[in-house]
Amino acid sequence: MNLPSVSNSHKTNEVAVSVRGLGLTYTTAIDRRPTLKARVKSLGRGGKQTRVIRALDEVNLDVEYGQVLGIIGTNGAGKSSLMRVIAGILPPTQGRIEVYGSVSTLLALGVGFNPSMSGRDNVYLGGLAAGMSRDEIDSHFEEIAEFSELGEAIDAPMRTYSSGMYARLAFSVAATVRPDILIVDEALSTGDAKFKEKSLNRIKELRSDDRALILVSHAMATLEDVCNDVAWLHKGKLVQRGDPKTVITAYREFLQVGKSAAIDEDV
Amino acid sequence: MSTPTQVYEPFRAGLPPLRKYWKSLWSRRTFISEYSRSELREQHFDSAFGQLWLVLNPLLLSAVYFLLIVIISGSSDSTRYAHLTATLFLFYLVANSLTGGVKSITAGQRLILNTAFPRIMLPVSAVVIAIFKFLPTLAVFLAIRTVLGLPFAWEMFWAIPVLLITMLLALGLAVTISCINVYFRDIASFLPYMTRTLLYLSPILYEASDLKPELRTLELFNPLFPILDSWSRALVHGQAPLTSHMLIGLGWAVGIFLIGTYFFLSREREFAVRL
Repeated sequence: MNLPSVSNSHKTNEVAVSVRGLGLTYTTAIDRRPTLKARVKSLGRGGKQTRVIRALDEVNLDVEYGQVLGIIGTNGAGKSSLMRVIAGILPPTQGRIEVYGSVSTLLALGVGFNPSMSGRDNVYLGGLAAGMSRDEIDSHFEEIAEFSELGEAIDAPMRTYSSGMYARLAFSVAATVRPDILIVDEALSTGDAKFKEKSLNRIKELRSDDRALILVSHAMATLEDVCNDVAWLHKGKLVQRGDPKTVITAYREFLQVGKSAAIDEDV
Repeated sequence: MSTPTQVYEPFRAGLPPLRKYWKSLWSRRTFISEYSRSELREQHFDSAFGQLWLVLNPLLLSAVYFLLIVIISGSSDSTRYAHLTATLFLFYLVANSLTGGVKSITAGQRLILNTAFPRIMLPVSAVVIAIFKFLPTLAVFLAIRTVLGLPFAWEMFWAIPVLLITMLLALGLAVTISCINVYFRDIASFLPYMTRTLLYLSPILYEASDLKPELRTLELFNPLFPILDSWSRALVHGQAPLTSHMLIGLGWAVGIFLIGTYFFLSREREFAVRL
């Protein structure tokens, strides 16, 4: 669905992703693990089982080729939801999203859906699920394994991995397939300092005129360094978009104000 | 450039565009085969002992149940043992599809939250794994049958359509239960009781013809009843199955498959927010 085998070359300033009037409302279970038992026990008490969440509201956003867009915002601002909608994982409730090119996603959870299988199996399965062919994965596999620095651990079950190893493998997969559009959600600041630097360098390498990068992160300094555009989301709405320095400064001020207001409230 | 590669718009309740969905599913068929292979490898079924266990496990099960039959009914014969093994093995195809399918969506959480793909791939893979586990037992049954000296007959080929019906039923059940488990996570814990009940309601430890007339209504509520009876008639007795049983079995399988798939496809787009 999101990684067609043929990728076209794109020109700078051509639209990569167009988001128009995007609204996302969804119903989710209040319980983390909803059970029939709990449901039966609460019968007749009229307790609510689900919660409606308005995650995104009238978001308009264009991402062009050649752009490195950073997305910032507090927890629950709708950053991850926006990424999932662009990746086609969540359907929008309102509006329209057009994607011009292949998308590779590295969302917060990363690769590796079956912990009892080896890293190698998980890379293959993740790639096949994303619509890549076996040959395509074969041609990238060596590079992925090398970049992740996992060594022989690549053939060990993923449940034996540390969280850093998980993250390294996930990053390597997403950054190696060279998609037209790469979405990285809060996965930049994982791994040790050395790998962090390595991944940051890879992101910088991936910046090119015929690629669009969307990075979600709380690491402001990194975003300021890497991005040429930053969008700030707050409570599902796009607050500001533009020059990284300006937007990040505004966001930092907002955080300061928010913080002091919260302190005032406590007093 | 003017035509987008992907357009995402709000969906209405109901089914996604089926042709597009099927195309997307078909293009990922390697995932299904690769997944079942990795899963079987992970369970060590690629090793000699793993394969032996695959065969030994149902054999031991059938031996235990045979003991039960002998103790309860006081006597037994080779046909009864052949009937028991044939139906028990087919029953385990359905039971394994259910146990593999029930957690297929919830266990695939990472993949679902990270990648856009037809979610039905996961329960389908669970059924494919169950089929791979079933095939060696079929060979074992044929060996048992030969050793017991039961005559071979052309009617035994009726087993092929019966097996196809069973696979469709298993697929329908796996798809349905994987979806239910997203909303009620404890369904997996109820499953052993459900499969056990189904086992006793099905003509496995007894033959369909042995059932008392007053208990006959039970077979109306059990999709496996007509299927297992047809299977036993074809493979054990070398007779053509009853047309009515074939039709009822097919009806159940198609019905469960269609309802389950509809339920699944109309819900799958919200799995990402429910996991």
